[in-house]
Amino acid sequence: MNSPILEVKGISKTFGSIKALDSVDFYLQKGIVHGLLGENGAGKSSLMNVLSGIYIPESGSIKINNQKIEKMSPDIAASFGIGMVHQEFRLIESFTIKDNLTLSKASIFNDNFKDAYDKYSEIFALSSNYLTPVNELSVGEKQKVEIMKLIFKNSQIMLLDEPTAVLTPQETLQLKGSLEKLSQEDEKTIVLITHKLKEIKDFTERIFVMKNGKMVADNLETRKVNDKDLIELMMGEIKQSSFKKNNKKGAIKLEAKDISLKNSEQLLVLDNISLSVKAGEILGVAGVSGNGQVELANVICGIEKEFEGKVLINSKDVSKKGVKSRKKLNLSYIPENRLGVGLAPGVSVLDNSAIKEYFKASYGPHLSRGKMMTYLNDLIKQFSIKAPDVKAEISTLSGGNMQKLLMGRELISNPEVIVAAQPTRGLDVSAVEAIHKLIIDQRDKGSAVLLISEDLDELFKLSDRLIVLYEGKAIKEIDADLATIDTVGLAMAGIDE
Amino acid sequence: MNKYILSKKLFRNELATFYSFLIGFIIALVVGSLILLIQDKNPIDVFSLMLKLSIGSINSLSNSLNKAIPLILAGLGISIINSVKLWNIGAEGQIFMGALALNFVYINTSFSNSNIYIVLLLASGFLGGAVCILLPALSKVLFGVNEIITTLLTNYIVFGITIYLINGAWKDPASLNFPAAAYVSESVYLPVIIGKLSSGFLICILFTLIAYYIKDKSVFGYEMRIAGGSELTAVYAGISAKQKAFFAMLIGGGFAGLAGAIELLSQTHRVSTGISQGFGYTAIIVAAITGMRPIGIFLVGCLFGALTIGGSVIQTIGVSSYIAEIIQATTLFGALVAQFFFSYEIIKKSEND
Repeated sequence: MNSPILEVKGISKTFGSIKALDSVDFYLQKGIVHGLLGENGAGKSSLMNVLSGIYIPESGSIKINNQKIEKMSPDIAASFGIGMVHQEFRLIESFTIKDNLTLSKASIFNDNFKDAYDKYSEIFALSSNYLTPVNELSVGEKQKVEIMKLIFKNSQIMLLDEPTAVLTPQETLQLKGSLEKLSQEDEKTIVLITHKLKEIKDFTERIFVMKNGKMVADNLETRKVNDKDLIELMMGEIKQSSFKKNNKKGAIKLEAKDISLKNSEQLLVLDNISLSVKAGEILGVAGVSGNGQVELANVICGIEKEFEGKVLINSKDVSKKGVKSRKKLNLSYIPENRLGVGLAPGVSVLDNSAIKEYFKASYGPHLSRGKMMTYLNDLIKQFSIKAPDVKAEISTLSGGNMQKLLMGRELISNPEVIVAAQPTRGLDVSAVEAIHKLIIDQRDKGSAVLLISEDLDELFKLSDRLIVLYEGKAIKEIDADLATIDTVGLAMAGIDE
Repeated sequence: MNKYILSKKLFRNELATFYSFLIGFIIALVVGSLILLIQDKNPIDVFSLMLKLSIGSINSLSNSLNKAIPLILAGLGISIINSVKLWNIGAEGQIFMGALALNFVYINTSFSNSNIYIVLLLASGFLGGAVCILLPALSKVLFGVNEIITTLLTNYIVFGITIYLINGAWKDPASLNFPAAAYVSESVYLPVIIGKLSSGFLICILFTLIAYYIKDKSVFGYEMRIAGGSELTAVYAGISAKQKAFFAMLIGGGFAGLAGAIELLSQTHRVSTGISQGFGYTAIIVAAITGMRPIGIFLVGCLFGALTIGGSVIQTIGVSSYIAEIIQATTLFGALVAQFFFSYEIIKKSEND
């Protein structure tokens, strides 16, 4: 085998107390498509940011074409031919395609732009004229321009962070063809970062797998590995549940029937989903983020109104009802995005504590501060929240305490139905344990819980049943006792056996 | 290597806004003094004369408070609109529109009981202010058009309409070519309480309390705070952020319209370009200095009223009245800078954090 075009050894990078990269080795062969697989937070993006000079690692070495690079910076990375496409586009929307492509000072096709554009727009099947402003393009077309930008600034190593997340299946297939051509004809070295198993198998020749900041498998030959091995590498082992599951279940409290939803781009983000949750039951919703979880929660809670299908709470059809009337039926929603959705930034702890039931503290147009204070003091006591000053902004609370305030606010009224999305994301171990206990307690009090999570440990530990969302479809439903890491993991990757 | 970075303080001193105002005011006095010194005037003499002529007697004090009325009312309107984190730069136009609406109702109706008629006329002023901001409010909630631009532009439109009316349809033949509408009857003048103090000041106190109640004690105020904090949180809570923004704008516009109505019924007694002398712009300064707090707006409004009167009387000793405006504007500047240092601190940070 030839010597690698890029070789990285022992890279470490920490953020606060979190080790984002833990002595990572990584190498790339010229002219082939590599896959970098891992869950969210495994360190994929951090590694790519180190390669493109955005993060400065604490230790480790980077060699490109056998030349050691002492100090990395975005400029130096670019001069060595490393280019990256970020998940959020870095295009100037009001500029034309041509201006965006030739913006870089490293631009190589300034003299023969038209020929180059003809060649590469054909490879990418981009039919737009190069004088079209970028803001008139669809998301998929913008993606193409974003990748072409790397070619036009002569990047030899192209790092693509989740490029397919915004694409339709047809566009994904097209991208595969384009990348193959680039690697074969132009000898570009490509890294595809993804957590979608199917794509990594389709697109790449070599696979690297990361977990918890470590490289757990390197340079696997794509043809020779099987899905199960990859899943196990990616997900690790599942701890045994410490909670009893022989809970008593009651009548059906929450039912969703044939839910379909299109986003603003007219793509189907929820595809005919049906589910039901009984009193005293936790239904886990597994899936890689972005497969319809947020939309499903929003439909159930009344935030998303333009959907097809029916939502029933306690057998009552609430499909046409708004957020408030669903809350009055005692539905609680713990949203994935704590600060920004669940809690309003810049607003006091006191005001934030009343968001669910502030109308209960009102007499006509008057809002009783006394009642709000009593309610908040109950919350603080019952959920042991540390709030130094309740009139100060919500951001004065720590992450764990914010989540406790949010959970407490949604749980104190003993809700009939709870929708909890990623309730423990970003929390430390003790806070996670406390939140899990709250959910189990609430289950035992007879709430129907819909638990949306990306953390399989959490889902296996808490849920009675599991459904798996993939591209807006509930592709699998299974009893938690019967579920294994393989079946759920494969379903999360879109493979239903 | 250590870096020094600005970091937002988690806990702010409760009185930070007040201290910032004091610091800003002191800076403004220093700047004002320097300008006076350049002009070979003794600042102490000038300032003590200003003080004497603005609050030294019942008459001068009531002049000052009369000047404060439109500043306070328009400032309160701005602060209500700012509850949803929107800026009303159109208070000047809303003041004029309040006066126009009053005059329109006055011309087209008559009422035997003058007390009830005054209330009716004031209400039409309030409505006029609300109508004036209707277009910016609609374009904000329907199309997301920046309200700072649209409210600013309505100032010019309304001022143009005023000029048009007082030179045309409403022009008073008795005004000897001075462009102004006819005087309203003396029966609808706002009565004077004491000295020259208009009863409009009592209305002003009442509306200060109303604004305080709306912002701090009502369900609507709460919903505005949440919507202003995060539109997504509002949607999550079942609060229509757009609806709150719309009504906040109408109410805030109404406050400024009321200011125009009071100005007409207590000072000018007719529609002319003298209805407002930039009160709507100064009100932005008043509201911003106080961090949008109604009680603070009332107090600073009174101070700025006195400054304006003080500034106008020192012209008699050959000092430009602009010294008062310089002090007002510099106070805002100083207060905003001081607020920044109360809200942020400089902390040392090592590079690897």
